[in-house]
Amino acid sequence: MAKILIDPITRIEGHLRIEVEVAGGKVVDAWSSGQMFRGIELILQGRDPRDAPLFCQRT
Amino acid sequence: MDQERDFYKRLSEKGISRRDFMKYCGFLTATMGLSSSFIPRVAEVFAAPKQRPPVIVLHFGECTGCSEALLRTMYPWIDELVLEIVSIEYHETIFAAAGQQMEDNLHAAVKKYAGKFICLVEGAIATKYDGAYGKIAGRTFLEIARDVCPKAAAVIAHGSCATFGGIQAAAPNPGGYKGVGDALGMKVVNISGCPPNPVNLVGTIVNYLLLGKLPELDEIGRPLFAYGKTIHDQCPRRGHYESDEFVLEFGSKEEKLGYCLYMMGCKGPETYNNCPVAKFNDGTSWPVEAGHPCIGCSEPGFWDKMTPFFEQKT
Repeated sequence: MAKILIDPITRIEGHLRIEVEVAGGKVVDAWSSGQMFRGIELILQGRDPRDAPLFCQRT
Repeated sequence: MDQERDFYKRLSEKGISRRDFMKYCGFLTATMGLSSSFIPRVAEVFAAPKQRPPVIVLHFGECTGCSEALLRTMYPWIDELVLEIVSIEYHETIFAAAGQQMEDNLHAAVKKYAGKFICLVEGAIATKYDGAYGKIAGRTFLEIARDVCPKAAAVIAHGSCATFGGIQAAAPNPGGYKGVGDALGMKVVNISGCPPNPVNLVGTIVNYLLLGKLPELDEIGRPLFAYGKTIHDQCPRRGHYESDEFVLEFGSKEEKLGYCLYMMGCKGPETYNNCPVAKFNDGTSWPVEAGHPCIGCSEPGFWDKMTPFFEQKT
């Protein structure tokens, strides 16, 4: 069974990693994962709601 | 000569006349704080570049808005010109290669151009848990930055994340994000703003190509030509401020009259940037002109220091 790993995925915004398992020329399993955590949800807690759109634009 | 003729031909194919281009060069030269006698030399940097320095663009914790601001201007090609006068060796958002090929590009470029390339960094670096909150190809942002940045001839931090940590560094800063200079303990050029005006990055690079050095910086690493004055001091609504004419509510008569937005939370008096002069989208407008109070996006820690954005701290 062969494993293909693509990291970084380019031409997108962010840091994405794809792993694919191939058996007999067919994909049998695959995983995708975001490789970055910034915590915008945690940062937003307790702030003035009027500020939220300005924070969320930057995700 | 051929090179120059070819350049103007390509320019007209993109629907930009020579006159438009010279106007842009005039605008860029003025933004850089150089006298108008430099305009032909600035034009030459684009039309007949003597050198194309290698540039490695690193993306860390950010939204890629700074790249977007650079690539998606109204005349898409004009600010993109900066991509013509430099040789981009690595850029995750615009390169066709991916995965291992992309990694090979990075390692080869760093090795080949060690001590010669410009490293342009977009995004903040996670430092908590040895940088585990952000990885590319199995390496943390911190490891990549420690490997690549010290080998560059110059490091330019592009945008508020790369300069001062940006939004992910806002309290409680879950990932321990820091700006590049801070995370690595080295001196970098800080082009701050969220996003920064593309002309400030182009101006910094053209300055480097034209005069062989980086522009003069303020005490927190920002080029003085762009960040030497406050928004307030250059604001077209300043007259209303001096005459006590303030907007007190959105949708009011005062707002229609274009009065000062200070009472609506404008952070112009504490914010150093050239937005009122350079403007965005090829001189179309900028936040205060469009009726939004300045949020202070080019200042360190503005996500905490300048919030709530719509209130004035007294």
